[in-house]
Amino acid sequence: MATAKRIEIREMDKHYGAFHAVKSLSLTVEPGEFLVLLGPSGCGKSTALRMIAGLEEITGGQVLLGDRDVTHVLPKYRDIAMVFQSYALYPHKTVAENIGFPLKIAGKTKAEQDAAVADAAAQVQLGELLGRYPRELSGGQRQRVALARAIIRRPAAFLMDEPLSNLDAKLRGFMRAELKRMQKDLGVTTIYVTHDQIEAMTLAHRVAIMRDGVLQQLGTPKEVYRDPANMFVAGFMGSPPMNFVAGNATGAGVKVGDRALSLEGVRVREGTHVSVGFRPEDAELAAPDDTADLVAEVFIAEMTGDETLVTLTAPDGGHIIVRAPPDIEIEDGARVGLRIDPAKRYYFETDSGKRLRADD
Amino acid sequence: MSLFTPRRVGHMSPGGSAITYLLLIVWAAFVIFPIYWLVITSFKSVNDVNSGPVFLPFIDFQPSLHAWRDLLIEDWADTSRSYINSIIIALASTALSVLIGSMAAYALARVTYAPRLSTVLAFVLCMAAVLVATMAYGVDWRLAGAVAVALFVLMVRGLGNRIAGRLGNGDILFWMISQRILAPVVVVVPIYMMFQSVGLLDTHIAIILTYAVINLPIVVWLMYDFFASIPRDLEESAQLDGATMFTVFREVVLPLSKPGLAATTLLVMILAWNEYLLALFLSTADAQTMPILVAAMNAGERGILWWTMSAVIVVMILPVLALAVVLQRFISKGILVGAVKG
Repeated sequence: MATAKRIEIREMDKHYGAFHAVKSLSLTVEPGEFLVLLGPSGCGKSTALRMIAGLEEITGGQVLLGDRDVTHVLPKYRDIAMVFQSYALYPHKTVAENIGFPLKIAGKTKAEQDAAVADAAAQVQLGELLGRYPRELSGGQRQRVALARAIIRRPAAFLMDEPLSNLDAKLRGFMRAELKRMQKDLGVTTIYVTHDQIEAMTLAHRVAIMRDGVLQQLGTPKEVYRDPANMFVAGFMGSPPMNFVAGNATGAGVKVGDRALSLEGVRVREGTHVSVGFRPEDAELAAPDDTADLVAEVFIAEMTGDETLVTLTAPDGGHIIVRAPPDIEIEDGARVGLRIDPAKRYYFETDSGKRLRADD
Repeated sequence: MSLFTPRRVGHMSPGGSAITYLLLIVWAAFVIFPIYWLVITSFKSVNDVNSGPVFLPFIDFQPSLHAWRDLLIEDWADTSRSYINSIIIALASTALSVLIGSMAAYALARVTYAPRLSTVLAFVLCMAAVLVATMAYGVDWRLAGAVAVALFVLMVRGLGNRIAGRLGNGDILFWMISQRILAPVVVVVPIYMMFQSVGLLDTHIAIILTYAVINLPIVVWLMYDFFASIPRDLEESAQLDGATMFTVFREVVLPLSKPGLAATTLLVMILAWNEYLLALFLSTADAQTMPILVAAMNAGERGILWWTMSAVIVVMILPVLALAVVLQRFISKGILVGAVKG
């Protein structure tokens, strides 16, 4: 069994003609770590993963696996297993043949293959389905076959490209938990690509958020949620995501509509466009009087069970979502006040998205 | 249109199914009739053929085995030789073109080629120069070749800076297909002279090579689409699992392209089996194929021997029929696979 290896990426670049898909990406994934590459579609995260796998040529930079430079090593010599979004099961092979394929290629005897297949299949609870063909399996079962095929070889690292995105919501939640448990038990270094921030938050030891080929922030799920590096990260993490209201900096604070929000020690040049961000759980509805931080109009209220999500139309025309108790009674179109926890406000330069901090 | 609207899923109205079956029966009769006519003609006596159409054996006419006796006993040496020639040539040329063509198609579907336009131009020019020098001016081919290689290297460097364009996989594919668009009659004389100069006229190998080459573009063209429709993920996954490109081809790509291979094999084999023009030029007696034998019956001093010709044709279509039946299940599956994947 191969021991978990560190994956190090140094200033990795990818150009497709004039298009710069990945821009000088540097990352280190520690042995046994679960790292999630998160970002909207087209941000370069899948390209980065494919470069680590060796399926895509690297335009510039280096990839190291353990102490070995694998930048120009063919995929088959990298000792990496990958789970594809489509699962990539061989339709003409049975479940057992699919799972055993890496060992067959490696020239293992039939007996060794059978033992390992039975073992891997048991780990993902596929025991009875070994004789079936992929077309006879459900989405979740196919996913398990793909996982079993990845773990059977005990590779130095796992790469996963949106492996759960073809499953329905319920199954996805369940498989997510199983995946996390399996990765923990096996202790294999894992890089996991997704656009789903909930998957990132729940699975990752650390999350790397990408946008337009550029790494935005790298940190634990808690860090990127509590302390986002910029407006993009703040707006990407959380469900519903962070609210932003746009205003202008004055001497006293940020003027939003007819109100001024205090800057809480953040110093910024007068007249700068500043966006104030706050999470849906860090604001509460109040009377639309002078003590309210903002006044807005109710757009719609949605009861989700344990809470009500109230969507408001902000003074700048944008939408604000606030978590409210489930039993709240509120009319659409009503004017309400909003109190925002001063300790949980985030300030950004509207034009650049740069985070403004009190100590800057 | 209510006549054809299903009452329940999978159930047509009685009127609708009656009309559907009627149309299908008419069409089937239309398609099968020539074969039927061929078979009964091979059993007709000379008189029955000459004295106007008769349709039903034992009712309209008394079947006779005279044509089959001629074919299988008196002319057996000739018939069997042509038959065996046809089988050898069709099998070997099909195997060659499918083997080489499918590998070329796979490479075109999966590897990106970008030859410089200038390199291709230089190569064509140098080849032309060698041919002109040796043919027209009698220059020693070794000397011409050496000069051409040197010239080629110089031209590649010189032209490379002036002509920036590159060719892609699409250009290569089109070039191959364009070789088939060219009518064989254009090249039949050069091919004849080529085999004459190497002393291979009227041999299996000459016809096998010629057929393999003219059918290669069809194989590349058809198989390219099949290979391109196989999801890349499957091949990439196999690569990561440690497979070489050749293993990927053998373990993943080939099993998945069975329908395409079956359809292509059948088509190419029928083309080789029926080919007449090139066989006419390249064979005289020893390598004579069935189409030549059939055509020869058209020109005997006894007039057209319809009965014997029919018997020969019946014998000739039997292997193709058998092959079609064997490969049919792959082919209908292949059509469906293509439809689903778009």
